[in-house]
Amino acid sequence: MIASIAFHRFRALRDTRVSLAPFNLVVGPNGSGKTSLMEAILRLRTLSALPVSEVPFRREMAGPEIEFGFDPPFDGLRVKLGCESDAVCDTLRLEPAGGGRWGDLRWRLSTVRGYVLDHDALAGPGRREDGAELARDGGNLAAVLSHLQREQPAAFAGLVAEALRLMPEFRALLIEDRPEGLVGLSLQLVEGAVLPASELSQGTLYLLGLLALAFDPRPPRLLCIEEIDRGLHPRTLRQVRDLLYRLAYPVDGREPVQVLTTSHSPYFIDLFRDHPEEVIISQKVGRAARFERLSDRPDLPELLQEGSLGDMWFSGILGGVPEER
Amino acid sequence: MKVALLSESPADEAALRVLVAAVLRRPLDFVGPGYRARGWPNVAQVMPAVLRHLHFNTDADALVVVVDADDSVVHTAEHDRPGYFHPHCRMCRLRAVHRQTTRRFPAINGRERVLRSVGVAVPAIEAWYLCGRDDQVTEAAWLAGAQSGRAPYSRAELKLRVYGTDRPSLALEIERALAEVERHRVDTRRLEHEFPGFAALATDLRSGVSPAQGRAEML
Repeated sequence: MIASIAFHRFRALRDTRVSLAPFNLVVGPNGSGKTSLMEAILRLRTLSALPVSEVPFRREMAGPEIEFGFDPPFDGLRVKLGCESDAVCDTLRLEPAGGGRWGDLRWRLSTVRGYVLDHDALAGPGRREDGAELARDGGNLAAVLSHLQREQPAAFAGLVAEALRLMPEFRALLIEDRPEGLVGLSLQLVEGAVLPASELSQGTLYLLGLLALAFDPRPPRLLCIEEIDRGLHPRTLRQVRDLLYRLAYPVDGREPVQVLTTSHSPYFIDLFRDHPEEVIISQKVGRAARFERLSDRPDLPELLQEGSLGDMWFSGILGGVPEER
Repeated sequence: MKVALLSESPADEAALRVLVAAVLRRPLDFVGPGYRARGWPNVAQVMPAVLRHLHFNTDADALVVVVDADDSVVHTAEHDRPGYFHPHCRMCRLRAVHRQTTRRFPAINGRERVLRSVGVAVPAIEAWYLCGRDDQVTEAAWLAGAQSGRAPYSRAELKLRVYGTDRPSLALEIERALAEVERHRVDTRRLEHEFPGFAALATDLRSGVSPAQGRAEML
């Protein structure tokens, strides 16, 4: 959906542009603009719901600016966010003014979601009627699964089957109604014992959160997930990538979801050896940062004969590593 | 016989279990969970530690290691000459790792050393999967292509032919791998004939097995 984003004077992203693919893994040191990239997209979602600014698109503003280009059929539209400061972006300008497809694009932008899953939130009970869409921290996971079970039993069955395949130590996912309109979830071990969500490991909760997103029958058109590898064993990361690919490259007739995610795991980065065009390296030099597509590096095929992609990244050859004194 | 597998993915491991059993034609126990490496050269890096662990801490008889050749030098009969070692051949490299690692080990529990069984899939394990389904996919065809400078197919094309997509899920990889190696479950001769990198693995396995004892012996 979003084809490119150009940043001017926005936080560490002083002057850089990034092209986006259907799937995007952003890697780089802390403070190199990964979160800023996702926040820019979420600000676009917020401001797209408001009236378009009357300020001419091409007028240069003093504050930070973020300019978006889009994939077909919206490639004739450009959107620029104007900010008073890094924290306050309050204008959205559109080119061409009154662009004919803006209404359709604006609806798609309204579906954008960003996630920073939190295991404590994921483990908590949720209000039964609050399960239409997973909350940013996953805090209504039980309610979302309960909603899916009631409204889309086939999708719920698929989610459970996938969960039990990924975590063979369990034999059932249980959703239970609790007093005062709450619902909770638990997993039953193969041996029979039932573990409430509060006793599940962090990685198990993160996997359940990702499964809820992957099996969402009405997914967003663009999904941002921070730290996708958090709490997960390296051998599980392949299945996590598969879950995200399920969204980005659907085979079940759903609309594709553009995915942006971040990771600090060399093991996760290894998984993109065959698709380096899906990897964005955020480079930090001093207080400024810029984005580079891994596939733009001409010597990458030769480098990959010497080691894994994750090792190459960790070594610093590809950039995207912290500065050291 | 107890066999350990060192591979690059769960899909490779699933296929190798079938192929190793097909070669040996005897009941096998597999060390689980299987050992995993992050592609080349990580396989060669972790192999000494895996061998040490197997030798001193387990009763495993053999370690089966399979890697993709990618664009490396293909192992040929010339490499099997006594004393020959090609630094860019993955078969030569892995055999050397085994030799150098295990020569320092004392005999333990009546076992001299863990049997070596190395296979190199040229150019990738998906080529093995296509054996018997696509006559154009053979190790000789890849070698001829390398010599002429015109590869007959790419690794990406092989994956597409096997999985029908360039982004297969792990579940699909395992499903397709098991379906394809089923052709070789009762007879591996064609796979050995068309892929010497697999034949080497089979030869290692067979030559290390003592039928009388049902134990692997040192090569």
